[in-house]
Amino acid sequence: MRFRASIENLQKKCIIKFSEDVMCIICNSEANEGGIQVWSQIKVDSLFTSYRIQSNASNIITMALSSEALLATLKSASTLLQLAKKNDQAVLSFEISGMTRQGRKVRVAHDVRIEVMKPADVANLKEPMCPEPDVHIILPPLQKIRPIVERLRPMSDFLAVRANSNGRLQLSIRTDTVNVDTEWKNCKNPNKDPEPDLPDPDELFSVLVSTKSFFKFLNSHVVSTTTIACICQNHCMILYVYVGDLADAGGVLTFYIPGQLIDE
Amino acid sequence: MSNDDDEVQQPPVLKASVNDVRHFASLLRGVNFVNRATVTIAKTGFVVIVEEARTLLGTAYIFANTFDEYTYHSETPPAPQNSQDSDGDEDDNSAFEIPLNTLIECLNIFGTAGSSGSGAGAGNATSKYKKWKRPGEDSEPEGDDDDRGWRSSNGGSGARGIDQYFGNTEKGTGMRMSYAGSGFPLTLLIAEDAAGPTTTCEITTYEAEPHLQLPFESDQTVLKIILKSSWLRDALSELDPSCDKLTIIGNPPPPIVNGKQRQQPRAPPMLRIQAAGTFGSTEMDYPNDRDVLETFECTRHVSFSYRFGHISRTLRALQSSAKTSLRIDDEGLLSLQFLMPSPKSKTEGGADAFIEFRCLALDDELV
Repeated sequence: MRFRASIENLQKKCIIKFSEDVMCIICNSEANEGGIQVWSQIKVDSLFTSYRIQSNASNIITMALSSEALLATLKSASTLLQLAKKNDQAVLSFEISGMTRQGRKVRVAHDVRIEVMKPADVANLKEPMCPEPDVHIILPPLQKIRPIVERLRPMSDFLAVRANSNGRLQLSIRTDTVNVDTEWKNCKNPNKDPEPDLPDPDELFSVLVSTKSFFKFLNSHVVSTTTIACICQNHCMILYVYVGDLADAGGVLTFYIPGQLIDE
Repeated sequence: MSNDDDEVQQPPVLKASVNDVRHFASLLRGVNFVNRATVTIAKTGFVVIVEEARTLLGTAYIFANTFDEYTYHSETPPAPQNSQDSDGDEDDNSAFEIPLNTLIECLNIFGTAGSSGSGAGAGNATSKYKKWKRPGEDSEPEGDDDDRGWRSSNGGSGARGIDQYFGNTEKGTGMRMSYAGSGFPLTLLIAEDAAGPTTTCEITTYEAEPHLQLPFESDQTVLKIILKSSWLRDALSELDPSCDKLTIIGNPPPPIVNGKQRQQPRAPPMLRIQAAGTFGSTEMDYPNDRDVLETFECTRHVSFSYRFGHISRTLRALQSSAKTSLRIDDEGLLSLQFLMPSPKSKTEGGADAFIEFRCLALDDELV
């Protein structure tokens, strides 16, 4: 269960939507600073060995729960999870079979309280609206970017992310004390339909984001194989973190990071 | 652009580069107990000065051949030769103030400047909840998929030394530094390798304010000792941090009679370090042994006290140094000079840098 590390500490509440073939994890509580949102879709085959779902709402169950409680249970070697009702309270029950150091079998049950969402609330769950991105670029390995942003984080609250269609990616901060620019020159841009009147491929498109939000996103380095960043100039940044093979699309975590506007 | 014109007329004051930023970063860390530092650039090298409480002065002397490339151009046009002042060249330097924390953080931007213990940072907080072993699984925790797993599982102060060997040992992170002159920022260009990212930092420089001067009168030296840094390091690390006063006591060596130093019974120790605090006191005596005290000169009984907090500022520099020279003058001014060995061998032209601390004695001990 490595994907949980990427959602780790992102938000206090999250929403999980179980359907017949995919599981979606959604973190969109507005209370979060920098407003980062995560919308992810994971094929149940890549997570669970056996999966059964039944519900009146066309076999889709959506629930809200506390991510801290969920993470605590997932840190163990969990094997069985089921939706149950205990003491009049809806819970997601995890049954963990393990071994003590002596070699004796042990079974632990964790119950995480959940709130099953009403269909009306579910209808309100919409992915944020974004215009067509200005540039798409495949990011260098996230674990290489992470230490750099970790150093930049105490220096500035805002980080400018710039990219162009020629494989150039820049992370910059500007403060009174220091200006730092980190640049990668040999990134790849995912194949797009070649347009004859494509604007200058060297043109850099930029967005200013909260350094903390970007750093939180980088925590998903544990699962990502490929990450594609899409920048909508001065508006937002969308990051698609692929779990597993790109072609196979075992799962995608979609991060929306809004752009910040600061008065110059 | 006016910048280009300036370049033609006036070359940058400093252009320097190193192939591996680690040594330079560790020298800077040795004096990083205060954020604001005064940097003086001259033909001979790069000097970083910090002061605290008008009592403690730390100076890192980084000579030009510590760098792989070092070019200095004076900012001021050459003055006409002064017949009185034949060493006008030595005074020629460029000085500015800079936030030292920022400089060190920038050098460490790729996490390769070898800072102590920061590798084990955010990583994975796996220790909070105990993991149940799956039957048939071995007891190793799920490995991290990158090198940093090594660092986070190596936690503890002992691993700091090991980090050096298991961390980035193949290639150092290179750094190029340039300073155009007063009013301009200090520019750093840092790159791990040709394929990887490059980082450009521009650190704001401020006008240098006159800093504390603590001149040490060499001819008034009452105590002079050269010893291996490891001895002093072990002694100071043993002391409880709650100590507030450190006293250094020196006694003249026993007289040499008939070519042999007569060992007087119950003779006062040549060097004694005493520390006193709320929880008690500690005394450490150094034997009259050439292996420990390589050089020892003491003209009369000496006893001066210093604030322990100031002395402990020297620990970081002491950690990486090979030899220490300890001198006290008749006013009680303590001068500690730490020899910081260069990773480059002498044949490659590497010069050892050194860091010096000067500390004023506490007044009430002066008799």
